[in-house]
Amino acid sequence: MLLEIHNLTKNFGGLMAVNQFSMGVAEGQIIGLIGPNGAGKTTVFNLITGVIRPTAGNVMFNGKDVTGNRPHTLASAGIGRTFQLTPLFTEFTTLDNVVASYYLHPRSSFWGAFFNTPTYRSNEAYVMEQSLKILDLVGLSKVKGERAKNLPHGYQKMLGIARALAVQPRLLMLDEPLGGMNTDEIVFTMDIMAKVRQQGMTILVIEHNMQILDLCDHVVAINFGQKIGEGTVEEVRGNPDVIKAYLGEQNAP
Amino acid sequence: MNTLITCTVNGLVLSAIYILVALGFGLQLSIMGIFNFAHGAVYMIGAYVTYGLSVGLGLNQWVSLLLSVILVGASGLFLERFCFRPFKSIPTRMIVMAIALIIILETTVEVTLGGVTRAIPAFVPGILRAGFISVDAERILTFGIGAVLLMTLTYMIQMTKIGQQMLAVAQDAEGAALQGIDTHRIAATATVIACGTAALAGSLMATIFSMNPFMGDNILLKAIQVVILSGIGSIGGILAGGLIMGMLNAFLPVLTQASIGELITILIVILILLIRPKGLFGYELF
Amino acid sequence: MHIKSFLNQHKGITSIAILALLIGFLFALPRLGLRVYYMHILIGVFIWIIVASSLRVLDLSGQGSIGHAAFMAIGAYTSGILSKYLGWSPWITMLIGIGVTIIIAFLVAIPFTRVRGIYFTMVSLFFGIGVLAVNQVFSKYTGGYSGIGSIPLLFGYNKTPYYYFCLALMLVCLGLMYRLEHSRIGLTWKAVAQSHTVASSIGINEAWQRILCFGVACTFSGVAGVAYTHYYALLTQETFSFGTSINVFVYMTVGGAGLFAGPIVGTSALIIIPELFRHLKEYVPFIFAGILLLVLFLMPQGLAGLPNQIRRWYEQHSKKTKPAEPVDEVAKRAA
Repeated sequence: MLLEIHNLTKNFGGLMAVNQFSMGVAEGQIIGLIGPNGAGKTTVFNLITGVIRPTAGNVMFNGKDVTGNRPHTLASAGIGRTFQLTPLFTEFTTLDNVVASYYLHPRSSFWGAFFNTPTYRSNEAYVMEQSLKILDLVGLSKVKGERAKNLPHGYQKMLGIARALAVQPRLLMLDEPLGGMNTDEIVFTMDIMAKVRQQGMTILVIEHNMQILDLCDHVVAINFGQKIGEGTVEEVRGNPDVIKAYLGEQNAP
Repeated sequence: MNTLITCTVNGLVLSAIYILVALGFGLQLSIMGIFNFAHGAVYMIGAYVTYGLSVGLGLNQWVSLLLSVILVGASGLFLERFCFRPFKSIPTRMIVMAIALIIILETTVEVTLGGVTRAIPAFVPGILRAGFISVDAERILTFGIGAVLLMTLTYMIQMTKIGQQMLAVAQDAEGAALQGIDTHRIAATATVIACGTAALAGSLMATIFSMNPFMGDNILLKAIQVVILSGIGSIGGILAGGLIMGMLNAFLPVLTQASIGELITILIVILILLIRPKGLFGYELF
Repeated sequence: MHIKSFLNQHKGITSIAILALLIGFLFALPRLGLRVYYMHILIGVFIWIIVASSLRVLDLSGQGSIGHAAFMAIGAYTSGILSKYLGWSPWITMLIGIGVTIIIAFLVAIPFTRVRGIYFTMVSLFFGIGVLAVNQVFSKYTGGYSGIGSIPLLFGYNKTPYYYFCLALMLVCLGLMYRLEHSRIGLTWKAVAQSHTVASSIGINEAWQRILCFGVACTFSGVAGVAYTHYYALLTQETFSFGTSINVFVYMTVGGAGLFAGPIVGTSALIIIPELFRHLKEYVPFIFAGILLLVLFLMPQGLAGLPNQIRRWYEQHSKKTKPAEPVDEVAKRAA
């Protein structure tokens, strides 16, 4: 298992946002974390990536206990993520968003920049080249000079993914990548996720758009901060608790 | 014993002045979201208008004081409309605007009246004696005026409709605007109150101590310190913060060297900013 | 028309050529018979440009400071006191002064990372005032209000060497700052300024980057401080007061904090223009305030943004150009 979560609990002043939540993510898979709005999906993400500290439970990444580590430490450990709402450096151009995200690989060196060393220059060239490649992959090369805040919504989401990819993570965590996208964009995004998996990256994705299930190897369903079902796509689709959570009590079989 | 009493009285007087100025500063901060660095200059202008009316034109001192508060307060309408409103959402530009105002006001006073230190004659000359305690009547008066004004303001904010609207804008300007509150009118009211109280504080300060074109710079820093100490959002907080700062400023110079006292005050302020940025009594500034 | 299209095609070369001409002109000025008084003013401009530009470096990482002169003071007083009372060579004490500035800047930066935005600005304000208070407390050495005078000079009483020295120092500092800003380090600082959540999600250690930026910016400020000391030979309470910090902030903002040229243009304009009206004596501050108001109400990008603003205005009012492209168009073109 690349990522393992044991009994993760977060208590916001009496409100149980996440309660005794456990799950595992195997290397090379696409795992879906589904659930209705307000189920606690994003809180789980924030707990894993260290944006907030869990009340109890622990997170293991790559065999090491990373519970409560700071976000930047987790990013350098190999977790890349996107955000649902504030995904970008809005004042930067598309290209600069990706270049800035290459902070870790190779690390931008202060003295290198100060003295303009050859290593520094070759690093900068390399980063530029790689960034353009990533923009090609997500289909944003044509808008590389535009400011991120001027991009249409779908493009901003794609740029969020591009940025997370630039961290060169072993685990890519996507927070509602399909949210607010039109049909074409959804197909395109899912296509990219498939490509990324082929390159050997593991993906953990939050969605409440059920189309994502076509891609997933394994699905975990969550509601009211608790796991209500887990298994293959078919198993979860047939799980009465999951159906109940999505459709409401009265429609349940 | 005598020193103790003198210090306490001085502390109370300073507190009253600080609270009056800090209240205006805090009011503009909470309602308009601006750090009005020109507030000290307005305070200085208030003192000079009183001086000009009473000493220059020979009006009755109380009338001059009242006129000064009204005139300077009314100038708040102009300030709010043309100087603060356009730069409300851009803090850096607001600072530059305030600097421009300070330069203009201070230079105007300096070129017309000169940079010399003056004083306004006391409103009630004489010394009050009770047993072995003797205190300037003027200081008691200042404290009294400050206290009465504060009570009036507190009453106004707690009890009247416009006061409630001010509180609403302070908490959530956007929400208040959606509720149909005219935020510009509220901002103008706040600026008028702020300028009026600053003028009053400046005039009182000029009778007790002295005045010069640059007297506002120091009081501005004190007002900021009080607001940081207390946080915004509660008048009670400003009262307590003002009292603490007033007493510190009255006692520290006696207990140690003036410069060390100053340093201690500043260290306290920095520590509060770093450890408890919302102040001792309030909620976060932004 | 030919010239215009040539200029458009070779924008980089043109700007480098203009820059080279300007620098050449500045170096040639003393030989062209610049009056000593104006040389004195220009030396001041060079020093304050370093300070204002270093303040902008700090601003890149979203740390707006109104106490920046404090670090200038630390460097200046260290170097001034050591060279005057211990009789060391100014060249050595200048290095020590810069070193002390670096150490204090990095130490101070650590607790300062706890606060952001306007809180940081407030902390910087009171730090600046605190340094002045320290100056008072140790007035035995620093001279307090009256300050210390007759600090050893760097080159004697002829102003020409100082002119060249400060000009070169400014150019080196500006070059380094430019390079830092346009490297990935600068990009990282700007990223931290925009969103610390997103920045940390890509592995940026926000606190460390802010400390680094703070340290670097204050170091440049210290460099300007030591140069100031051994030229003016007099340091007083007023030299690095709250007003000085605010002035530096105003230089940067009025010039345009968004542009590298901003603090350079702002400092030059706000020092030289009031100087041209020197005969107005006590009315000169009105000129200064007038420039501020002019920029505030008419130039949203500051003085340095004026050419851009004029160009955009011109384009909007000439018939040839299309109106600004809406966002949808950008999307369509990309698809």
